[in-house]
Amino acid sequence: MVAVGNDRKAINRLQAMYGFRALVEDRYKRAIEASQSGQPIAWAMINWWAGDAILNTMDVVTVYPENYGVVCAATGSAQTFLARAEAEGYPAHLCGYARNCLGYAASMKAYGGIPPDAPMGGMAAPTLLLGSGGICDARYKWFQAMARYLDAPVWTLEMPHPGVHESLQPGAYEQNISFIVHELREFVAFLERLLGKKMDWDRLDETVTDMLETNRLWHEIMALRRARPCPAHSRDIWTCLGAILTPASDAKAALKLFHSLHDEIKHRVDNGIGAVPNEKYRLVFAELPIWHNLRFFDALAERGWSFVFESWAYHPPKPQDLSKVSDPLERIARHNYQWVTGYYTGAAAAGEWWGYFAYPYLELVRDYRCDGAFLHSVLSCRAGSTHLLHVRDSLMEKLKVPSLLVDGDMVDTKLFNAEDTLRCAETFEETMTHYREMRQKEGREW
Amino acid sequence: MPYFMGIDIGSGTSKGVIVNDGKMVASHLLPSGVNYREAAQKVRQELLAKAGLSPAEMAHTVVTGLGGNNLPFANQQAADLPCCARGVHFIFPDVRTVIDVGEQAARVLRVSPEGRVTNFVISERCAAGSGRFLRIIANVLRIDLKDVGPLSLQSKNPVTFTTGCAVFGESEAVSRVAEGAAKEDILAGVHKALANKIAMMVERVGLEPECAITGGGGRDVGLIKRIEENLGIRLLVPPDPQIITALGAAIMAEEQARLTAAPELKS
Repeated sequence: MVAVGNDRKAINRLQAMYGFRALVEDRYKRAIEASQSGQPIAWAMINWWAGDAILNTMDVVTVYPENYGVVCAATGSAQTFLARAEAEGYPAHLCGYARNCLGYAASMKAYGGIPPDAPMGGMAAPTLLLGSGGICDARYKWFQAMARYLDAPVWTLEMPHPGVHESLQPGAYEQNISFIVHELREFVAFLERLLGKKMDWDRLDETVTDMLETNRLWHEIMALRRARPCPAHSRDIWTCLGAILTPASDAKAALKLFHSLHDEIKHRVDNGIGAVPNEKYRLVFAELPIWHNLRFFDALAERGWSFVFESWAYHPPKPQDLSKVSDPLERIARHNYQWVTGYYTGAAAAGEWWGYFAYPYLELVRDYRCDGAFLHSVLSCRAGSTHLLHVRDSLMEKLKVPSLLVDGDMVDTKLFNAEDTLRCAETFEETMTHYREMRQKEGREW
Repeated sequence: MPYFMGIDIGSGTSKGVIVNDGKMVASHLLPSGVNYREAAQKVRQELLAKAGLSPAEMAHTVVTGLGGNNLPFANQQAADLPCCARGVHFIFPDVRTVIDVGEQAARVLRVSPEGRVTNFVISERCAAGSGRFLRIIANVLRIDLKDVGPLSLQSKNPVTFTTGCAVFGESEAVSRVAEGAAKEDILAGVHKALANKIAMMVERVGLEPECAITGGGGRDVGLIKRIEENLGIRLLVPPDPQIITALGAAIMAEEQARLTAAPELKS
């Protein structure tokens, strides 16, 4: 049996990653300082860059409860908040992020402030909550429920989710962009009323420009990971995610970090340096990471497992040329919509109807020459799990690439069994080898 | 002449097999108890005694199973499903689907013509598809586990279990006993519930004939009958279905030794 949880150095970690981690830590610290000086604070859902730049330009310091769920899970603090949420009556099958932060908010109310021992100093009390209709249905009610503990208004940004064929109907694209722009204008007006100040459109324009440049760079970084051996393991990318998904709150600092990340990865590619020294198997990971047990991936790395891509929704939409779009809100809208629909043309060509969750894995597994897919079926997340069986079947049918389907949770330790999963992983190596040989016999590309 | 040993420490039973030049020399099994390391030592000692061999004559030993961690006499540890696949392939080379019903879990494997695992599914964290479910119900009915299968075959009116969960199944069995249901009908109901669960797992990996059953479940004629009815096939049953994974481990030991060891083994 491979021991789980030992301090290993099976993964050659990126130095640039530490800067991203520090940026996230600094964000929580700044929010606490802001609350002491009377500056507004938002708790925002990951909103795929729809509201972040607007909040930043309005001088609202933003923290992200989903990211805080990650922090709590990774530091072993989540179970306390999960238990508190269950005591409040929230069911155990509710989203782990939601339960963690509902428990945190309930604790905050009970203590009259940040609960003692909250990791990273805790999330300071919010002035407003920004929800998002993006990706997941639980998110609509989660922030409404949380607001009951926090005495703060909730605003929800809608995000259209057309199907593959619907998105290709004449006029659908412009109609959806108009809808998002309208949503953003309403949000700006809400903030102006709430905060009693006007939007600085020039500043917003500059922030959006920085964000789009960050996206371009980020996309380039991901493309570098196609190299053999892969220069950056998912563990490093996950560590960067807190800053990657929310760069608008620190747009300049994030862009600088992305440059350093790019340079380090490029150096590795040029010099044949892999994140896993003995890369035997290349895998893609879907969907939400096992935040409470990331060291589990070190045990897999020791066996030569290299995770070369992960969780498409956490990654940059395909870059577009938006230089001729003068309205920053419209640029945000087009970028945000690209996140959901960026793979749709390929999905339509491939006859795949499950375009924005399942289809990207077909492209990723092919482009990154993966031997297998590790599909993390999160029991408390329907949005992140229901498509995985389809992903598994599509990868096998179209690419002859096998999948390992693993039950677990991104926050709740009770729902993941590392030892059982490692046992399955050992067997899965034989399966990956079998299909690699089969692909070679059939003359496939890898 | 070199011999090769495979040891499979399951949660219910510990098994051992010695092979030599592709032939099974001896096999042995005993209850695992609560100390897997002791069980492993004991099954090894008794297996060696049965074969009339000494530890020094073992060229390579592969251990597998839940209790196969860090055993001092092992040369190699292997995952149990590849061992199971090799063991089945040794006995039935035409088998492409394996149903392995052990104490802890049920597993369904697809196997390549070379005896490699090409797909698999495990009834993780749920005893509904496992031998444990049968043990629990046998305990409720106060009957010996070996009598479960033959008694189940006598059923004329199997009870319907509304749950797939072994814990709730135990409560349900107690209720049926209280209502006066016959033991054979309760057992047949349990077998149907297990067979349903296993059939769903078979569907997940896809059934390709021939199909074999291994593990303790392969000794239960009642379970075999219900699975055959459910899937509409005849199952191949090895002479001793419980030792198949240990046999595969021994075969793997021989393969490994030939790959890496002395030239005389490579012939």
